Amino acid sequence: MRLEHVGRRHGPRGPWVLREVSLDLPAAALVRVVGTNGTGKSTLLRLLAGIDAPTEGRVTGRPARTAYVPERFPVALPFTALDYLVRLGGVQGLGRAAARARAGEWLERFGAGEHAGTGLAELSKGTSQKVAVAQALLADPALLVLDEAWTGLDTGARAELDTAVRERLAAGATVVFVDHDPRRLEGGAAVVYGVEGGRVRRATPPGLPGPPPSLPAADGGPRPTGRGTVPAGPGVVSVGPGVTSAGSGSASAGAGPVAVGGGLRAARRGPGSGAGGSSVAGLGPVSAATPAVSGSAASRPSVRIVVSGGRPLPGRLPGDPAVVPGADGGTTVLTVDAAHSDALLGVLLAASWHVHHLGTEGART
Amino acid sequence: MRALLRYQSGLLLRSQRWLAPLLLYAALIGVGVQAGEPVLGALGFTAAALLPVAAWTVRICLTQEPPAARNVVAAAAGRGRAHLAALLTGAAWPVLVGTVAVLAVTAVGDRRGVTPLAAVLTGLPAALACALTGAAVGALASRPFLRAPGWSLAALVLGSLLALVTTGSPAKLAMTVLVAGARTATAEPPWLACGGALLLAAATAALACRATARLE
Repeated sequence: MRLEHVGRRHGPRGPWVLREVSLDLPAAALVRVVGTNGTGKSTLLRLLAGIDAPTEGRVTGRPARTAYVPERFPVALPFTALDYLVRLGGVQGLGRAAARARAGEWLERFGAGEHAGTGLAELSKGTSQKVAVAQALLADPALLVLDEAWTGLDTGARAELDTAVRERLAAGATVVFVDHDPRRLEGGAAVVYGVEGGRVRRATPPGLPGPPPSLPAADGGPRPTGRGTVPAGPGVVSVGPGVTSAGSGSASAGAGPVAVGGGLRAARRGPGSGAGGSSVAGLGPVSAATPAVSGSAASRPSVRIVVSGGRPLPGRLPGDPAVVPGADGGTTVLTVDAAHSDALLGVLLAASWHVHHLGTEGART
Repeated sequence: MRALLRYQSGLLLRSQRWLAPLLLYAALIGVGVQAGEPVLGALGFTAAALLPVAAWTVRICLTQEPPAARNVVAAAAGRGRAHLAALLTGAAWPVLVGTVAVLAVTAVGDRRGVTPLAAVLTGLPAALACALTGAAVGALASRPFLRAPGWSLAALVLGSLLALVTTGSPAKLAMTVLVAGARTATAEPPWLACGGALLLAAATAALACRATARLE
């Protein structure tokens, strides 16, 4: 997808919100848009999603399956949550039965399953946002645009949205997002665009493997120029195909190990299969520790261990790992605080569990 | 497109926003058409009353979604297609109601010199011409052209009135044909008016659907 000299202003004589935006969005890339409030981040996202047409310039190559999640979605529509999702699924090209199955599945994943029959007007702000996120993920979009979609979601739903984004990336989709948490989807954001003064600049040094270690200015404010920012040319960067492919390569490399499992998981999960799949049954009481962990492990680096088989484990594992069923049904994914990963691995190996994959995961909030 | 039309119709029907224009139409017909009246004149009034009703319904369909929901649909289906679905929904329901009204008025009117079939075949194109002209007025008096509710409503009322009395308007042409037919008791279907209204509505829809992503 490509934007060529795109400009946008409101009305025929309004002030320009964006001008001379030229960028290439590679497939299977995670794109972060940063900038202070009111600089035009949302306008850029609306242009990308096809909600607004550019006043000048052109946008080409937008995938047919595009989905958008607005920042606020407390909409008063005369539908129940499930009914709305089924209708939106139809608009996105799904059949009625498929739309219904997927709508139920996504509501369950975001922990809003019990609100499926509630009218949209009666939903809380957070649950409305879950519906907004669910509609975007219904039909496996090839371009997913998230305008602060995490705002208003609870911790579990935020983590689930992170997982869903990684699944989309693994499936080859492009995900563009704005979020005021600089650590959001850290470890995967290969391409960062800064919006400032109506111009869009690429903020990651092209060709650098992976994202910068930290994004102190991602939340806003003028970006420090001494941090490796490369404003090539007169302020506006037209990112060439060669550069972007390198960027996307590192993006998929970063997201790869984490996301592939999730992608398979989405594909394999049939309608109605709950979060507690059969693979967790062997672990028994351990899964009960999951809710306690999400709080304590917040904002620290964690280790993700994919295992299978083995003997039943003791009720209490070192570091209280979060346990979820893995990608292909046969494996189990344990996420544990890095400090406890060695002890946990020791326990797993002692019980003859087979370790498929071991990787660090960006800190979640 | 079918899913979009279902979505828009679901919004219109479930929100009960359809009720107010329908009541207006029922009131207009109830006041303006008497049983035993010459059928062609009564059909002319039935068709004319449909014009403001169609304009209002189109405006309802264009404004019934909150912006967040509209953006979500626009991203999934394209802004222009979403707008077209709202226009089609807003025009289709009044056409349906107008068809029922034409049949009812034909049943109760004085059909001297006119067969029921001829009366219906005259009334339906007239109703279609007025509904489509009204839909065009509604499309021009709402998003994306006029967004302030006050101006939009004023334009809707004024536009509907002008569309009924201005020479050259398809609705006015259909009325003229029906009134002339009522005098001579000859049922002559206003096909020209119907075709003109179809062209007008199509041109307006194309303009509005192109403009919506640019102007908003």
